[in-house]
Parts: sequence; C-alpha cells; structure tokens
Amino acid sequence: MRVVSAVIAIAVGLLVLLGYFLPVAVPVQTILLEWAVILVAVAAVVGVINLATVHADKVRRRAKDGIYSAMLIMGMIVAAGLGLAFKPQNSFMQAIFLNGIIIPVEASLLALLTVTLLYTAIRLLRRRADAMSITFIVTASLIFFASATLPFGDMPILGTLIRPWVSQILALGGVRGILIGVSLGTLLTGLRVLFGIDRPYGGK
Amino acid sequence: MVFSLDLITGLLSFLFTLMVLSYLIGDNPLFKIAVYLFVGVSSGYAIAIIFWQVLFAKLLLPTITVLQTGAYDVGMIRLVVPWLGLFFILMKASPRFAGASRMVMAFLVGAGAAVTLVGTLTGTLLPQIAATINAFDLDVAQARNIKVSEVLGSGAVILIGVVTSLAYFHFGARRQQDGTIHRLGFIEVAAWVGQFFIGIALGVIFSGVFASALTTLLERAFSIVQFINTLIGVP
Repeated sequence: MRVVSAVIAIAVGLLVLLGYFLPVAVPVQTILLEWAVILVAVAAVVGVINLATVHADKVRRRAKDGIYSAMLIMGMIVAAGLGLAFKPQNSFMQAIFLNGIIIPVEASLLALLTVTLLYTAIRLLRRRADAMSITFIVTASLIFFASATLPFGDMPILGTLIRPWVSQILALGGVRGILIGVSLGTLLTGLRVLFGIDRPYGGK
Repeated sequence: MVFSLDLITGLLSFLFTLMVLSYLIGDNPLFKIAVYLFVGVSSGYAIAIIFWQVLFAKLLLPTITVLQTGAYDVGMIRLVVPWLGLFFILMKASPRFAGASRMVMAFLVGAGAAVTLVGTLTGTLLPQIAATINAFDLDVAQARNIKVSEVLGSGAVILIGVVTSLAYFHFGARRQQDGTIHRLGFIEVAAWVGQFFIGIALGVIFSGVFASALTTLLERAFSIVQFINTLIGVP
C-alpha cells in the first residue's frame, strides 16, 4: 500500500506539473485538479466531523470545560443544519451567523491582539535584549509613530524622509531575503515530495 | 419596539464583542463561551459552504445529471475517482482500513506539491529576483526623474539586504581544527549584517499589524457605543 501511495503521489504530481509546460497535458491537469478540489472538500468535512467527535467525547466523559464543548457542538449543528437547508448566501444566515457572530468575534479577537502584541513586545526586550530585538523594537516604534498624521500633514523628517526610506529600502531588502528563502525552502520540499524522498501521506 | 433582523444582528454583534473583549480583564467563562460558539458556528458554516459550493456543484449535481441522461461513458469516468476518494477517506474512521485513505492523501499531496512548486517559482521566487535586479534599472530612474546615484544606492542597499538576510538562514557549518563548529567567515559576517535587515523588516511588519489591530479595537469600541445609542434613541 505504501508503494502504491508513493506511485500515486509522484504520478499525479508529475502530470499536474506537465500541464504547466505542455499544452497537450492541460486537460489531464484540469481533471486532476478538479478531483483534488472535491477531495480536499471531503477531507475538510471529515476534519470538522473529527472536531465534533473530539468535543462530543469531552461531553460524554463530563470533562472539565465539557459545557463549552456542548455549546460548540450545538453551534455547529445549528449553523450546518440551517446552512444546508437554506444555503449560506441566505439573508437570514448572513445576518445571524456571518454578521452577528463570525465577523464580530473575528474583529474582536484582532482587537485583542493590540494588547497582546504590546505586552509581547515589552516582554521581548526583558527576555532577549540582543541586537535583533533592539532593532526590531526601535523600527516598530519608529514606523508606528512616524505613521501618525498631524493636523498639518505628515510628521516632518520622521514621516516624510526616514519612514519611507526604512520601509521601502531597508525593510524591503530584509522581506525580500525572507521571501526568497521561504520560496527556496518550499521549492525544495515540493521537489522532495515529487521525487518520493519525503512521503508526508504516511509512507516511510 | 420592532424586532427586525438588523436589530438581532446588532444585538448579537454587541454581545459577542463584549464577551470577547472581556478577556482584557482575564480569562473568563464569557470569553470561553464566545470562542467555543465561534468555532462551532464557523465550522458549521464552513460545512454548508463546502457542501453547496463544492460537493453539490461538482459532485452530486453532475452525478444526478449523468444518472438522469444516461451518459455513463465520459461523465461517469470523471466522477468515479472522486466518489472512490470519498469512500476511501471515510474508511479512515476504521483503523483496519485506514490505509486506503493514504492513497487519497498521496493524491492530494502530489497535486498540491506540483501546484505549490510552480506557484512558488512563478509567483514568488522569479518575481522577487527580477525586482531585486530591476532596482538597478537606470531607464526607470530616468523616466521617473530620479538621480542615477540614488537608484544605484537604493538598489545596492536592497541587494545587500537580500543577500545578508539569506545568509542569516544559512546553517551549513564546518568543524574547525580546534573541534569547534563554525560557519565560513564571510557567511558569519553576512549573517551578522543580515540580522539587522531581518529585525527592520519584522519591525515594519509588526508595526503594520499593530496599527490594524488598534484600528479594529477602535472600530469595535465605536460599534458598542453606536449600538447603545441606537437602543436609547440617541441620534
């Protein structure tokens, strides 16, 4: 079974890859990607069912915080049930679940990040006061304060000269280095999967 | 008072915002209720979207059409694999037959690896390298009326940033004669310089994220005030 899995991964990967370079292989690539989209959707549903099973088990065992798990399952059943019955685009679904719960909670969690980030930044200097940490904090503070718009416009020198230079020249170099590094790593990981060296689907 | 859908949405939004922001005074049951309900509702909503937009549109509806029209030849071949995949994924529930789901995972990993490979190459790696080279483009400088020295200086700083940042993540090292393990001298120097560029880059990103979070905090606070004003009838 492990060999079959490796053959499937390599064959599918090469066929999809061929579609990008040979126009003849495009129809095969399209079909394979369509199948992949459907199977990813099925895997996502299985993931959600697994989440429900884990929390149902906590409720059954009367574990600590089991009451919250019961609420999670109730919320899931109601949202999924109504969503399947009325479709997610329905105005009632959008008003109650999307605009009433999902978006406000997401926005509020992002708002909480203000305090968390500030606290973490202060802790960073206390825990690890090395060259990179100090550069990080000084840059973050400089860019934040220089972004403030005064009644008469941008902050002189700091906002008009230093901030653009730091964010568009110095930071650009660093970000580009990180991006190129990440993409080289991703490229290598993809090649290792296509050559069958790495088998994250369960083979050795 | 008329209970319109807008009022219910506003009330829910108000309550959930207060429940989440109550975390500022410490972890408490209200915050936990909001977060657990959020996870449940989001995953339920995701199931509905996945069903209607993918499973129904791409699998169920075509299957029903094939069964109704009787065009089993081409249509069914395209649908057999997803149905088999669905069946194999569901077999993951049984430890005895879990191996079958590995084939589906292999399919997804293979397709994902190929798409990621090309996406990374054409979407990130080549454009970023090209942009680093184009920073020295004198024609662009001339067109934008920028001094040549300014363009070359900026391009050089960006290039140094890129090379030294990459060097920071180079962990290839050699054993020295005294037994210690060190990177090559010039890589060590480049990595030392690179840490400043990475620190600056992360600082700028942090500042952007912090500004967004602060803006959202103000927006949430404003929404709370606005809802209370609506309830008590203040314009």
